[in-house]
Amino acid sequence: MTMLALDEVAVHGPQGRIVAPATLRVEPGVPLVILGETGSGKSLLAQAVMGTLPAELHATGAIRLGADALPARDTAGRRALWGRTLAMLPQEPWAALDPTMPAMPQVAEVPRFVAGLPWPAARRAAAAALAAVGLAPAERRFPFQLSGGMCQRVALAATRIAGAPVLLADEPTKGLDAALRDSVAALLAEEVARGATLLVITHDIALARALGGELAVMLEGEIVEQGPVARVLAAPEHPYTRRLLAAEPEAWAPWPHRPAGAAVVEGEGLAKRYGPQRLFTGIDLALGAGEVVALTGPSGTGKSTLGNMLLGLVPPDAGTVRRRGGLSAFALQKLYQDPLAAFAPAMTLGDALAAVIRRHRLDPVLATRLRDRLRLAPALLARRPDQVSGGELQRFALLRALLLDPALLFADEPTSRLDLVTQAEVMELLREVVAETGMALLLVTHDAAMAGKVARRGMALRPETGGA
Amino acid sequence: MRRVGMRGARVIGFALLGAVLGFGLLVPLLTGDPMRQDLSATLLPPGAPGHLLGTDHLGRSMLARLAHATRLSLGLAAATALCAAVPGLLLGLLAAWRRGWVERVLVGLADGVMALPGLLLVLIFAAFAPGDFLPLYLGLSLAFWVEYFRLTRSVAGSVFARPQAEAARLLGLGPWHLLRHHLLPELGPMLLTLLGFSAAAAVTALSALAFVGIGLRPPTPEWGSMMTELLPYYEEAPWHVLMPGLLLAASVLGLQLAAGGRGT
Repeated sequence: MTMLALDEVAVHGPQGRIVAPATLRVEPGVPLVILGETGSGKSLLAQAVMGTLPAELHATGAIRLGADALPARDTAGRRALWGRTLAMLPQEPWAALDPTMPAMPQVAEVPRFVAGLPWPAARRAAAAALAAVGLAPAERRFPFQLSGGMCQRVALAATRIAGAPVLLADEPTKGLDAALRDSVAALLAEEVARGATLLVITHDIALARALGGELAVMLEGEIVEQGPVARVLAAPEHPYTRRLLAAEPEAWAPWPHRPAGAAVVEGEGLAKRYGPQRLFTGIDLALGAGEVVALTGPSGTGKSTLGNMLLGLVPPDAGTVRRRGGLSAFALQKLYQDPLAAFAPAMTLGDALAAVIRRHRLDPVLATRLRDRLRLAPALLARRPDQVSGGELQRFALLRALLLDPALLFADEPTSRLDLVTQAEVMELLREVVAETGMALLLVTHDAAMAGKVARRGMALRPETGGA
Repeated sequence: MRRVGMRGARVIGFALLGAVLGFGLLVPLLTGDPMRQDLSATLLPPGAPGHLLGTDHLGRSMLARLAHATRLSLGLAAATALCAAVPGLLLGLLAAWRRGWVERVLVGLADGVMALPGLLLVLIFAAFAPGDFLPLYLGLSLAFWVEYFRLTRSVAGSVFARPQAEAARLLGLGPWHLLRHHLLPELGPMLLTLLGFSAAAAVTALSALAFVGIGLRPPTPEWGSMMTELLPYYEEAPWHVLMPGLLLAASVLGLQLAAGGRGT
């Protein structure tokens, strides 16, 4: 029997329709993945199913859960089913868990308050649920004592403990590195194997591939292509799906490489520890002019710290960093993972650029030329950082760094918050800039495929075993 | 709903504050000397001819005395809040900027001041020069600067540690740029809120101290000391005791509402 069905579900806002009527069926044991980029309306569709749309939006159509059909407008009716029939896995579970409670008691709140069990029974149920996701030894630990993957498991245990057969997951791999992403995919696949009805909203093609089942591709509020995952990914029909698949790093052409010039920075025997946590020891890393080096490894292994050390932002505990003589003090520049965090929030982008131009007495014509080179419209200059898209802002960050004619650009996961197509655009620009200026590029990424296509040399950091 | 409520509260706050300020600034220009006694016309009720709000036990005009007291209280409160804000802000910036031992020393000092009751500080200073403005205002500023220090240090510390501050440094943009464009937009509204709250606390403290006879003394017109002076005549003239209290309540409420509704 179909557990979850959407009949002509659409989302409307004050300015008109945002999500076109969508009709979808999800069967137990066959996950449905809705794939789309930021702003495609995929999350709104999930919120319409849960009944958690923002107040100014409303849904039309009908949602069928098992035998009950509910009008999509009836949010109160859905709310009554939360936890029992319909459950949602929170995004970024380390932020969704209560930091002041150990894992078991916070999972136990669900059977206590949703199912109405007395505390001892609720605690027994929570312990069993945690054991089922392999966390029995960690039930007394607080969220901050758990790894990201363990938090993900705690959240999953809390989500399904009340026995909801229908599970929604909105961007379950957001902000995760490759290893964690695979473990989340495995967790969700296990739920499906157990007979759960799973609806996943994601921008992550790798997750869709790992889960299998059915795929719906969403673009600008409309489902443009639908079918079994394997077929859609192997033989996409809609141009947008094709563009999306071509933007995957696996599909990129490898960057051409010229022989590296004289070393811009050299690090020798670098080591760093934070308290008892040893990040790395005895690292030698040199970057020559025009060279592209990729730094990979799971989160928490000190990739960013190593890059910051080469830039002189973090002093090494041991070892030395040498810059080539005669470099300007501003010859080493950086791109940040979250471009929004790298700009003064209240300043327009034009003012932000003007401040750099004034400080270094640069020719404004240079900025205009670079802006055209990076394909940034002049109209964007009047906006504040939060009023442009992530891809545009990252290009502005690149423009700001290029104004100072850097010898080395340290790009710290510069595209991990961008959509696939935007990521491909930004990386293509970076490739062109490296070829044109001959600057060295140190790219930190958790995407092994991207590192393979981009870098001439790679360096993988591994978690150091053993502490102090 | 909540937003509208907050905005409404703010409008009421500014209206109350504006009314009290207007009373304190304009009325002293129109009325006579608040010290002139007329023992033939004592304890006149409000509305008596020639004395809009009546006279006190020495026949002095209540209107003139209340207006002068308002000007004094609000002026002193504003001066106290500002004199606490400036050193608190500068020391907070210094601590967040320099870190290390400078920060540890300043935080220790601030914790030390916080551990003392504010009243004690004022009493120590007031003992040197009873009935004078300066010790009152010094003592209150010394008690209040800690709040500004703690706020500035924590906000500046977190802003300076952000990628945006690091990026600005890498681009060679100096400390002035960091303060003006990165810190001010975030700290500014919070400082204004704190200014409102500490001015309200100062108004209350001044009146409370005068009421128990430690702060300003008669014949200086002050809400607290007026209440003390008129309390024995409560049976004959209850309105007279109430009037300074109402002004005090209106100004504190106005300051709190105006400051509290900010930034939401």
